Amino acid sequence: MPAELEAIAPPPAPAVRALNCPACGSAVTLRAAGYSVTAGCPSCGSILDVADPLVKLVTRYAEMTRALDIPLGTRGTLDGIEWEAIGWLARSMNGAYPWEEYLLFNPYHGYRWLIFDGQSWSLGETLTATPDFVTYDTLSAGGRHYRRFFKEREARVDGVLGEFYWRVAIGEQVITSEWAAPGWTLSREANAKEVSWSVARLLPPREIETAFGVEAERHPWPPPPHMVSPHAGWLSTCFKLGLAAMAFLVVVSIFMGGGRWSDIGALPIARDGSAQSVTVGSVTFGQPWQRVELRARVPRLENGWVDLDYALVDRTTQRVYEAYGVAERYSGRDNEGDWSEGSRESEISIASVPRGTYDLVIDYRGNRWIANNPGGWGQADWLTNGDSPEVVVEVRRGGVYFSNLIIALIFILIPLGWGFARHVRFEQARQAESDYDPIGVAALFKESE
Amino acid sequence: MGLTIACPNCGADAVFRSAALPCRICDYCQTMLVRSDDGVRAVGEAAVLPFDVSPVTIGMRGMADGIGFQVIGRVRWAWTDGAWNEWLMLLDDGGYGWLGEAMGQFMLLREAPLKTARAKVLRDVINGGEAVPGTAAEIGGVKMHVADARDVLCIAAEGELPFTAPPGWRVYSVDLKGPGGECASLQRDGASATFYLGRYATLAELAPRGLRRFDGWSLPDYAG
Repeated sequence: MPAELEAIAPPPAPAVRALNCPACGSAVTLRAAGYSVTAGCPSCGSILDVADPLVKLVTRYAEMTRALDIPLGTRGTLDGIEWEAIGWLARSMNGAYPWEEYLLFNPYHGYRWLIFDGQSWSLGETLTATPDFVTYDTLSAGGRHYRRFFKEREARVDGVLGEFYWRVAIGEQVITSEWAAPGWTLSREANAKEVSWSVARLLPPREIETAFGVEAERHPWPPPPHMVSPHAGWLSTCFKLGLAAMAFLVVVSIFMGGGRWSDIGALPIARDGSAQSVTVGSVTFGQPWQRVELRARVPRLENGWVDLDYALVDRTTQRVYEAYGVAERYSGRDNEGDWSEGSRESEISIASVPRGTYDLVIDYRGNRWIANNPGGWGQADWLTNGDSPEVVVEVRRGGVYFSNLIIALIFILIPLGWGFARHVRFEQARQAESDYDPIGVAALFKESE
Repeated sequence: MGLTIACPNCGADAVFRSAALPCRICDYCQTMLVRSDDGVRAVGEAAVLPFDVSPVTIGMRGMADGIGFQVIGRVRWAWTDGAWNEWLMLLDDGGYGWLGEAMGQFMLLREAPLKTARAKVLRDVINGGEAVPGTAAEIGGVKMHVADARDVLCIAAEGELPFTAPPGWRVYSVDLKGPGGECASLQRDGASATFYLGRYATLAELAPRGLRRFDGWSLPDYAG
């Protein structure tokens, strides 16, 4: 290829010309209005002719440099190394998906790339080793596994300014493809003469802002290929915590399940239905706090009810914990046959009773139901018939309220479910940009079309 | 790093720190100096190549794989759109090796017998053919890939060299990279070919002494 060989030439000999005001000979300065720049004379006010090639060169460079987020020559520290931005490229997939790249340089550490996709910044480095093939969709480089993300596309240089280690020019094209790992991308760029591989690390907004004073989007949307779901971290922690909490609660509710019922006694019920009171002692509860369950059975109850006022009185503090219960049962016969309702049993509970020794005071009274029973064909009067009626009272330390357990589980599951939904939405948006089918959670909830 | 040019107005030295800067103001006479060489003519259209920014100089000492060396010569090569350096290292064991420097990355290379270049793509090149970037080649049990293949031109040589390197000397050069940072280079000059084998290295691991100093840049920690 002789033609190409002719083009290889030693660096051009340096040459410099003085640019003075053509009118008065004074030094010239650059003036900026917006992004447009003119060269003018501060002494006599003349504006230099923009048709002059030297003036054009100077003003065009100044205009382009002023338009950059990071002016060339800016220095910043990344990974503990001071870098100077020396070159700038505007690139795109032949017009689509534009992005910018700054070339960073340190004479003792070589070159790095600062890549800006319009939302986030990444720090790129050319690899000296070729990546390893792992599977059809995964490559390994530097001990990290990358999964395919973008198929081969043609990338084009749309703008260039400053220094590069090769003479990159507008219109230069390479074939690119990209793989992604959490926080990193792996890119291949190839043309007819060269294949190069590079990796880029997504820079947290704070890091790039500190280093080069440029803004980065906190929540880029759609997310870049190498962004880690912001929900993944806390979600996995909370999922583990939630599982542990649920397991703990279930164990607690089993372990803390009620104690054994203990008999308080069979209390006789006065046949005349008068109020009675009995004090039973002592009842001792050993847990710091417990629910106390009280159960009353009236075996002979029929068409009547028994009111039960319980009061647990702490022998030490005299604090009183009260509850009310009733056992009621009715039955009869109408044109649809025999009927009955209610129960001969009453079961109630008192929440949050502290450890201690208690007296149980029970005020109770038996009642008979006569009114509204016009068909009374001599139904049994449970108070007066037969043996003297009695109420059997039992007490026990109660377990965790089952409803409380359910509520607790729901409170644990709601934020987990919300976070998981956000995580899925993030992964779907991130992978929607890829040329390949979604994987992971994004594939689990693929929207049907 | 930088270009020093005498101000055409007052004769004072004016330093251009970047190859891309088209103009600067003379510190003494305040004249605006505009470079009119090819380097900056295509502002906004094409990039410029940096001034010679190598931190390596002739006389630099270091350690390569446990053997001390001193840099005694350099050949500078150019291709159509760039350039790189090959520094000659005189090793303390009496042999010599090359410290390649391209795009800010360094390679330790030693000449290897041509018969070790057994891969088909390399034999094709030795026999006058061309290599396609991306082609695989097994060299000494390591699977490498052709990273670039192009005509190159010697543009400068200095110091001591094991061969004459006249400016304008043209060769066909093929570079290969391996998965563990291994590298190889085959250069064909007419009917003869030379083969080099080695690996990528960082400047830091060479424990360099006598690095070139640059105004405005502090020496790295590893420079000792």
